[in-house]
Amino acid sequence: MKCMYCGAELTRDDFCPGCGTEVRLYKKIIMTSNFYYNEGLSRASVRNLSGAIDSLNKSLRYNKMNIQARNLLGLVYLEVGEMVSALSEWVISRSLQNEHNDAERYLNAIQKNSSKLETINQTIKKYNQALQYCRQDSRDLATLQLKKVLSLNPKLVKGHQLLALLYIQEGKYDAARKYLRTAGKIDSGNTLTLRYLKEVNGVLRGDVKDKKEKKEKKHEKNDDLISYKSGNETIIQPAHVKDYSALATIINIVIGVAIGACITGFLIVPSIRHAAQNDANVAVKEANDTISTKNQTIESLQSQIDELTGTINDAKDASQESASQMAAYEQLLTAFAAYAENKIEEAGEALSGVNTEYLSVAAKNIYDSVNASVNAQYIETAYQEGHTAYNQRNYTEAAEKLQKVVDLEESYQNGNAIYYLAQSYRNLGENVKAAEYYQKMVEQYPGTERAANSQRYLNTMDLPDENETGSEPGAPEDGSAEDGSSDEAPVE
Amino acid sequence: MIDFEEELKKFQPSLEVEEAEDAIYNRNLTDMTDILRELMKGNEHA
Repeated sequence: MKCMYCGAELTRDDFCPGCGTEVRLYKKIIMTSNFYYNEGLSRASVRNLSGAIDSLNKSLRYNKMNIQARNLLGLVYLEVGEMVSALSEWVISRSLQNEHNDAERYLNAIQKNSSKLETINQTIKKYNQALQYCRQDSRDLATLQLKKVLSLNPKLVKGHQLLALLYIQEGKYDAARKYLRTAGKIDSGNTLTLRYLKEVNGVLRGDVKDKKEKKEKKHEKNDDLISYKSGNETIIQPAHVKDYSALATIINIVIGVAIGACITGFLIVPSIRHAAQNDANVAVKEANDTISTKNQTIESLQSQIDELTGTINDAKDASQESASQMAAYEQLLTAFAAYAENKIEEAGEALSGVNTEYLSVAAKNIYDSVNASVNAQYIETAYQEGHTAYNQRNYTEAAEKLQKVVDLEESYQNGNAIYYLAQSYRNLGENVKAAEYYQKMVEQYPGTERAANSQRYLNTMDLPDENETGSEPGAPEDGSAEDGSSDEAPVE
Repeated sequence: MIDFEEELKKFQPSLEVEEAEDAIYNRNLTDMTDILRELMKGNEHA
């Protein structure tokens, strides 16, 4: 705080330290101004703009140099839609204090937006015109004008209040209340707004009460109607109404259940069945795929088995062949060993057991060589023994020995082996075998005496049937022929 | 009960931008400090 005369910084004393002037009263004025400024600030912060304007004006009346109060007053004016009043305060503030003043910033902001300033100016003019219409009793025009103004400048509190007044005059209390509430939101402490609102609310509440009372009276007068309150609600119903609520509830439940069953039966169940069918089809398809895969596997395994079986069989055959080969070579070795020891008969028997198919070429040559030697000796020996046995009438041994000779060489001794073999069989009663060899004699040695004898024996010999076992007629037991010729063959 | 005419009288026209200059010039900025100064001067002369 500075002295108003010399500008010196004042202390707590009641006299200026610079010029000595008494400053007690001055200090009080400044403090009062500040007090009202603070009050205006607190009111503005709670949107009590009318109260703020009042306080700030008081502050400035005490101290016009309270720049903060003046600037705040300008802001409040701007907030209630009084643009020109706001500009005035800021201009004065700037003229009183040129430096470090927020008013400069506010004025620059307004000047930058000149179109907005022009719009606000137009709204002010229209508001003034609307006020004129009201005074001229042209309320409809005033209403229209005010609506335009408020659409362009919604912060104009006076506009809301004037429009609300017009609606109150027309009895449109709801509309009036709407605009009054808007004005109350901008300036909450405006006494005019509050007074109008009180009036409007009172009227509206009174209407509601009147309507309620009328309704109640109307219902009371009507004997067919009864009314009662249930909480905050008034329920009016005919007096003789029967309460079917329980039956209706049951019927509704039944209908609901039926609808639910129909929905389930026609919508849900088919879809579930379809889904189940699809799942089954998929499972069947997978099973079929699995089966076909397994079948393929089985077929391939079966072919492998067949192949392996063939291989096994081939191996078996090869093994048997090897065994047969080994047996043939063993027999050949046995025959060769017997031949080396001059055991002709053993060699001959061994040779007869040799399967020449399994012998190699060299082995076959050996076999042939040994066989030829052995056969010759063996045949000769066998023939001699057979013939001797025949002469001794030992036909069994004779047939055995001579059979071996014939098996090895049919034409031995120019058919004598065959002839004596046939004779032996005949004497033994084996006519079938005898006939066989007699026939060979006839075929192989025609024109010989032995062939003629053979033919004779064939003609006279009764070949038995299968059931006959008796002796044959005309078959002498000795070796002589029926014509008396000797059967003894010369020994060669 | 609200009297429309009486209430209407309370509504005054707003200042337009063109009127701002005159309003500023015609503004009486005398405050309590000015009055105090005048009083102090009067006392000194006395």
